[in-house]
This record gives sequence, structure tokens and C-alpha cells, in this order.
Amino acid sequence: MVDVTNHELVPDHTVLDDEELEEVLQEYNIDKPDLPKIQRTDSALPKEAEVGDVIKITRDSRTTETAVVYRLVVK
Amino acid sequence: MSQHAPKEISEITFGLMDPEEYREMSATKVITADTYDDDGFPIDMGLMDPRLGVIDPGLECKTCGQHSGSCNGHFGHIELAAPVIHVGFSKLIRRLLRGTCRECSRLLLQDDEKQEFHERLKRARDLDEGLNDVTKAAVRQARKKDRCPHCGEPQFDVQHEKPTTYYEVQQVLSSEYPDRIASAMEPDEEDGQRISPTELAEETGIDAGRVQEILSGDFRPRQDDREAIESALDVDLTEEDMNKLMPSDIRDWFEAIPDQDLDVLGINPDRSRPEWMILTVLPVPPVTARPSITLDNGQRSEDDLTHKLVDIIRINQRFMENREAGAPQLIIEDLWELLQYHVTTFMDNEISGTPPARHRSGRPLKTLSQRLKGKEGRFRGSLSGKRVNFSARTVISPDPTLSLNEVGVPDRIASEMTQTMNVNERNLEDARRYVSNGPEEHPGANYVRRSDGRRLKVTEKNCEELAEKVESGWEVSRHLTDGDIVIFNRQPSLHRMSIMAHEVVVMPYKTFRLNTTVCPPYNADFDGDEMNMHALQNEEARAEARVLMRVQEQMLSPKEGRNIIGAIQDHITGTYLLTNKNPRFNETQALDLLRTTRIDELPESDGTEDGKAYWTGRTIFSELLPDDLNLEFTSNAGDNVVIEDGQLLEGTVDADAVGAFGGEIVDSIAKLYSKTRGRIFINEVSSLAVRTIMHFGFSISIDDESIPPEAQAQVDEAIEEANERVEELIDIYQQGELEPLPGRSVDETVEMKIMQALGQARDSAGEIAEEHFGDENPAVIMADSGARGSMLNLTQMTGCVGQQSVRGERINRGYEDRTLSHFAEGDLSADARGFVEHSYREGLDPKEFFFHAMGGREGLVDTAVRTSKSGYLQRRLINALTELEAQYDGTVRDTSDTIVQFEFGEDGTSPTKVSSDVTEPAVDVDQIADKVLDSEFDDTTEKQRFLGETREPTNLSEHADDWWLAQTDD
Ligand SMILES: [Mg+2]
Ligand SMILES: [Zn+2]
Ligand SMILES: [Zn+2]
Repeated sequence: MVDVTNHELVPDHTVLDDEELEEVLQEYNIDKPDLPKIQRTDSALPKEAEVGDVIKITRDSRTTETAVVYRLVVK
Repeated sequence: MSQHAPKEISEITFGLMDPEEYREMSATKVITADTYDDDGFPIDMGLMDPRLGVIDPGLECKTCGQHSGSCNGHFGHIELAAPVIHVGFSKLIRRLLRGTCRECSRLLLQDDEKQEFHERLKRARDLDEGLNDVTKAAVRQARKKDRCPHCGEPQFDVQHEKPTTYYEVQQVLSSEYPDRIASAMEPDEEDGQRISPTELAEETGIDAGRVQEILSGDFRPRQDDREAIESALDVDLTEEDMNKLMPSDIRDWFEAIPDQDLDVLGINPDRSRPEWMILTVLPVPPVTARPSITLDNGQRSEDDLTHKLVDIIRINQRFMENREAGAPQLIIEDLWELLQYHVTTFMDNEISGTPPARHRSGRPLKTLSQRLKGKEGRFRGSLSGKRVNFSARTVISPDPTLSLNEVGVPDRIASEMTQTMNVNERNLEDARRYVSNGPEEHPGANYVRRSDGRRLKVTEKNCEELAEKVESGWEVSRHLTDGDIVIFNRQPSLHRMSIMAHEVVVMPYKTFRLNTTVCPPYNADFDGDEMNMHALQNEEARAEARVLMRVQEQMLSPKEGRNIIGAIQDHITGTYLLTNKNPRFNETQALDLLRTTRIDELPESDGTEDGKAYWTGRTIFSELLPDDLNLEFTSNAGDNVVIEDGQLLEGTVDADAVGAFGGEIVDSIAKLYSKTRGRIFINEVSSLAVRTIMHFGFSISIDDESIPPEAQAQVDEAIEEANERVEELIDIYQQGELEPLPGRSVDETVEMKIMQALGQARDSAGEIAEEHFGDENPAVIMADSGARGSMLNLTQMTGCVGQQSVRGERINRGYEDRTLSHFAEGDLSADARGFVEHSYREGLDPKEFFFHAMGGREGLVDTAVRTSKSGYLQRRLINALTELEAQYDGTVRDTSDTIVQFEFGEDGTSPTKVSSDVTEPAVDVDQIADKVLDSEFDDTTEKQRFLGETREPTNLSEHADDWWLAQTDD
């Protein structure tokens, strides 16, 4: 099986720890379910990601170099 | 209009309605199907009972005492003789029947399973996901149970026959059981042993005498005996028995479902008991929802809903009479089904499998569901969009003398649509003048509203008199006049620029006039296109339209981030003629070219010729540029364009410089200077271009596409060579010697090679033709400047039209193995497969013409299919995206505050504010910083503009251009 996470077109997916998560929720003044979702079965996710975790995705961007997106892991 | 204070809606809950609630809110029970008596008065407890509301003006509502207009009407009710199923819930009813016990009505799930689904529901609710997946899964699991886990009752499968019939399917003993057993006891081919009744008795453990009775059909074996015989003889003794569930059975079944089991199915038992899905009471809509109309001949015509209600009441009565008279069960069931049919079609008359209820004329009735559904339904037709006042529609035509911000409005439209003037001391004189002009003379007025609120119509008779009475505090509805702002629209409104604000210029005749440079954003042409105009009715709307929606503010397309308004067609030809060869003009000519711009003094001349001063085209064009503009880019014609300090030093100004789709100069001016500067530039470029093209003259004719005979001979030769090459290929192919290309069959290979050879033939024909056209050929000028057409179009006109195709292949359809009956079967030659070797100028021969029409037809069908598909896709996208909103914190969220983007577009920039060149950085910080620093050494007004301290006066009328230009002085 090919591990897609190593592919250059798959951006970095990292699991947020509780402290970081709290910060993100504070910054946007939201609860976890207000985040965009990502399925647990998504092969871009790191192995350790579990349902309920929040993932930080860091993408390359033409205009801002990196663009950060957070997603809640579901089902 | 008297209105209550608006209130904020905090919550909406949906649920089923309790029949008791129907009875409570009912103004009257309806028992008779008659509507009016012989004197034309509504019958009490009939469908037009005055307690259900009033429609005739003057009458009083018997329930609330109000008159028509203020009384919204009141519901009544019909007591149904027998319960009927509500079609809208037929799927949910099926689900409940399958998921609950036929005996004790409890959900067919163990407690731990229930718990699991409870939790899954809670999670779905927390995540704002649909509950349907979970409840469906719960029913699916419950349905698997053969026996009730609570009372042990065996469960049967429930079948649903659309729309409203349910059956329990039971496996029961077949009536042919003796024959089936007997034939199974006969010897079969393999073991050839006949089984005797005694042997059967031994094997099954059934008493031998009983076996005899069973075989003779005198005794029906019970379930365990049946199963024993079945396994002993390997035979199936059952048949399916369809036991119809009557609505009353279902109602009893549902009544016993416990509340806590409903929770697991996602139903809130406090609001919705499942038995309420089986109707026992039918609400009768108020008469205001189904008004009757009086026809010209004095006859009353009733609404479709009333017709349907009449049917329901009639059947309901017949049902009751028959039941009381003790009619046979068969008749009762028929009537019950009929009642069900009428109640079903009352709610939805477009159910598949059910014949629609029809009017006497044969037209299907429009019942409740049909009022809501679809494009003309209540939601899409009356709530999301409706017809409006203060709007006009007519044909459009071009007027190059207008500014792109303006629209020419026919005087008869201008005097029909009005703007409200609040009269005060300062505009009193104007207001009086409008009123005294009356409703017919142009800047007049149609209505006035006095200080006491009375509205008076201005007529030719009373206008003089009324004008004298006008005073402060009155409102005057005056005609549209020059400079008013209106909204202008062309359908299909596919993007933001399909609706823009224009300033009115009142004109004679009947069409809307627009500047040709606004054709691209509207995608308009003048072959009969019509457009809509809306007059704005309050100051806020007018201010918003002027600041946000005016054409110049829409110059840059948010889709591509570059200008969508600019020079088109002859404008581009004009600037090309002006700048490509850089011709010279004497003083008179130069001034004439610049006549319609704000330039009234020529710059220093470029030199003298024959003792007279001359100005070059580029110098003249440079007069329109801002003085400090610096740009360098490649033109559509291919040369390098250099602009330094607002002077065009070299290069051709064409589509890539001033064109409507990303013209470099227009884009730069709009982004670097302002939209107003951009608008002035486009207006001036287009009028300069029009005067230029008039100066030189520009036309095209058949002769411009003809080539000398020797060139024609060359073209013919090239095509002949290609034909020979094709024949060769076919020869090799038919001898089976063609080497297939990798991954292709031989058939595909020969097709590809032929296509290639013919493609080359067309190209070389084109090249030969091109050689004979000079730079002064009008078609070449248009293609070279990007004004219209391409070199391909030109070569098709002069050289050879080329291969026609259907579905991306050479034409191969028509007759069996040939395209037309003129060819031999299997003929693969160029002319038999749609190669057109003539040019458009020479004309096509009949076979070529036919193939050309085939290819052309495919194109037409494709566009027709594409537009309808993309229209629907567009609708779905719009519905999905309308509620997204960019928030002040930079995020994009939907209405439930779920984040869709953490930063608008992932970078927080507007495409119209950043560079449209992909090779450049979107925001060039260095360049911006340089500019700021440069401005340090300039005078203060310059500096302030760079620092953005002066606000752009966006809401200025075009009449103030001179003032505005004096302020900025570029
Ligand atoms: Mg048209
Ligand atoms: Zn009323
Ligand atoms: Zn049970």
C-alpha cells in the first residue's frame, strides 16, 4: 500500500493537543462541532488521529505561503 | 398599512398535529358538500360557511368580525367517517410498521441496542448532521428480528403498495397441501423409492391415522407438524398470504407505541404521536385560501381545493350512510378506498401510480402540494422571487455617445416610473414645476401625497391647480430624469455583473440605449435582446446602488480578478489602426480624433512634414493615459508595448492593452488609480477608437478573401497530395500491412493517420493563403488585433474548410458502412468521410455541405444541452452558497456559524484588488513600499493619495467629472 501522507501534494496533517485546541476554539469563538469535518477513514490523516480529535492542516498557498485549516475528525 | 412591531424568531419547531387540535382551532364543522343556496347565500356548515372567513368586500366575518382584507380566514374541519392515511407520511408509516411489534407495538430492539442508537442520535445532533441515517439503521436492525424480543410474538414482513396500502406478508399453509405432499412421496428419478404414509409417519413422529387425514385433506397440519413434513420430504407447503392492514388497524398499532421507543426513532413524542399520521379529522382551509371567482356570465367558479373538498364530503357521507345501513363489508371497503383516494389527491395530485383527480374539462386539479412545488409554486414563485412594481423591460440598442455608466431610457418609460420627492423649502420650486407639467409632459409628476397622507393622482386637468397647492411636507412622485440612478439587468443573471446600476439619460424612441463597452458583463448583443430596469424607491437603496453597483465599480470581475469592461470589436480595430503603424496626423485630423475626449489642446508636435506639424497615433493615444503610468507588456499582435510616464513609446494598442477581457492598460489604471479614472479611460478610448476607424474607414468583402490563381493552384495541389497520401494509407490498411500505433487497434491507427494527413493539408492550404494577405487585409487586422475572428477563420474562408467531425471522429454514420448512398461501402477516403476541401469563398459542394451541416448540428445540440445543464447546476450552487458570509473576523461561515473557510479564499485577499498576473506575486509588497517612499518626496496631495488618506468620491454623478479631475489633476 502506498502511504499517501508522504506524497508531495498531500499537505501536513497534525493532531492538535488540548492546549492548542483550546486556543483555536477561543480564537474563532466556536465549539468543536462548528469546525469543518474530516472522516476518520481519510487516508491523509496521521495514524494516531481518533474521532473527536482536531487536525491542523497546513497547505502551501501562492499568496500567503501557508494557509492553515482546522478540521474535526468524525466517524 | 398597520403593522405589528417586528419580533425576532428564536426557534421554529416542526411536529405533527393532534386531531384534537384541529377540532379546537376549527371555526366550524363542515358537514354538507353544498356551497351556496338558491339565493346565492353560503350554506351554514357548508364549504363556504361565513365562519371560515370572508372574501366579498363589505361582508363581515362571523368568527372574528373583521372585513375581508383584515380577516385572514379561519380553518374548519371534517370528521372523517373512517381513518385514512396521510400520503405525506407513507414512508414513515412503513418504517414504523416494520420496526415495531405487531402485538405489543414496542420497538423490536433489545435495551442495549436501543441505548446504542440513542447515543448515535445524540452524536448526530451535536454534529448538526441529518438524523435520517441513524433512524434508518435502527429500523433496518429492528426489521431483522423474527420474533419480538419483548413479548415473543412472531413478526411478519410489511409490504407497502404505493401510495397508501400496507400488507402483512405471512407464510401460511397452502390450500394445495395434500397434492404437494402426495407428489413429494412419489418416487423421484434418483433414488426411485416411493415413500409410504407409514414411513412418513415414522420419520415425522406424527400419528399414522393423522397422516392419512392430512393426505386426504381432512386435517390441516399445525405449524410444527407442517415443518416436520417439510423437512422429511424436502417440500414447501406454504404460500404467501397478503393480509391488508386497514388504516384503523395501523392507528391502533401506533397508539400503543411507547414514548421512549419513539425517541430512538428520532421522533419527539411530546410533539408528534405516530397515530396522528392517520387522519381522523381533516382540516378545511379557510375560504380565503380557496376563493371562488364570479365569471362574466354571473356563474360562480370554485377553486380546485373546494372541488376536492366537495368530493371528500360526498364520499364521507355515503360511507356513513352505508355503514349505518349495514352494507356488506366489500362495499364499505370500496368506499373506504375512495375516501382515501380523495384525501390523498387533496394533498398531492401528482403521485406516481395514482391517476390524478381531474376537473370536468379534463385538466388535472391543482391541490395543496401543487401550490407549493416547483418553479411557479409558493416557495420559488411567490416567496423567493416575485413580480415587482417600478420595473420596465424593452429591447436594447447601442449608443456610443453615452458613458458606460449611463443608460438611455425611453421617455414613455421615464414618465411611467417615478421617484419620490420629499418636498421642502429648497426643492419646492422644482416640485411645483414637475406637478404643473402634469403626467404626460416629460419631467412631470404622476401622484402627490399631501401632508395628511391623502394620495392624489396628477391629471392633465388638475395639474396647474395642484402645483400651486404643493408645499413642504408633501411627497411628489416625479418622473425619472437625467442623473437618477436605476438598476439594469439582463437574464440569465449568472454573475454579479449581470445586475448593475446606471445613471438615467431620458431619450426619445422605444429602446433602452447602452454603451457598447458594457455588452461583455451583461453578455448582451443587439439582435433583439431585451433588458429589465428597476427604479429605486428610497435614498438608502439609491446610495447603495451608486456606491456599490454602478457599472464602473463592477469594472473588475471578481471571477478572474481582471477587467471585464473595456474596448471591444471596432474599438480594438480602431486603436490598432491608430498605433500599429504609428501613422501621422495633421493638426485638424489630430484634434478631430480627440474631439469627444476632454483633451482640447494638442501636445507638442512630433515633427514637421512638408512644413506642417504632425502628431503620431501613439502620441495621440498617450493623451488619454495618466501622466505617471509605467507599463510594459506584449500585445496581441506580438510586439512589445512600452509606456513610460504616460507616453506610449512603442507597440500596438490592441485587445491585450485595452480589451474587455483583461486589457493590460485598463486593468492597471483601474487597480493603480481608481475606478473613476478607469471609466474615463474606457469612455475616451472607445470614442477615440470610433473616430479613428472612421478616419481610416474599415470594411470587409468577398474580394478580401480571394487569392491569386497561382496560389489557388498551390492550395489544390496540397489537397491533392493529401488525398493521395490518404489513398496510400487505405491501401496499406486494406492489405493488412499497417503497423498499429502503441495502444491502438489497426482501425484506430488508420483513422488517426488519415486525420493527421488531412489536418496537415488544411494547415498548409491555410499557410499558402496567408502568404498572400498583407497586413492591410481587414480580416488579418481583426485577427491580429484580437478584435474579432482568428487566422483559422480566414484560412477556412480562403484555403480549405477542413475535416468535419461528429463526436470527435470523422463522419462515419448514416447508411450501413457508408455515410451517403453516393459512396461505396467501406469507403474510407477523405471526401467520403466529411473532409471539405473547398473554402467558404469557393463554396461547398452538396456532399460537403451536408457533412458541414452534420458537424454544425452537433455544435448546436451541445450548446443547448450545456445551457440547460449548467443552469440547473448554477441553481444548486447558488442555493448551497447563498447563506455563506464573510465575517468581520475574516472567516467565512454559514448561518449556523459553522466555519467554511478560516480566512476568506485562504489568503483573505479580494481577487479584484490583487494582481491578475499569475506569474507575479498577488500582492507586491516591495512595489507598494517603493511607492510610499517615492511619495515622501512628492507634494502632500500625492502622498495622501498613496497613503489612502483621501477617500475616493464614489457617489459623484458624472456631471461632476470636471470638478473631480481638477481635484486629482493627473
Ligand atoms: Mg442576442
Ligand atoms: Zn375572520
Ligand atoms: Zn411484542
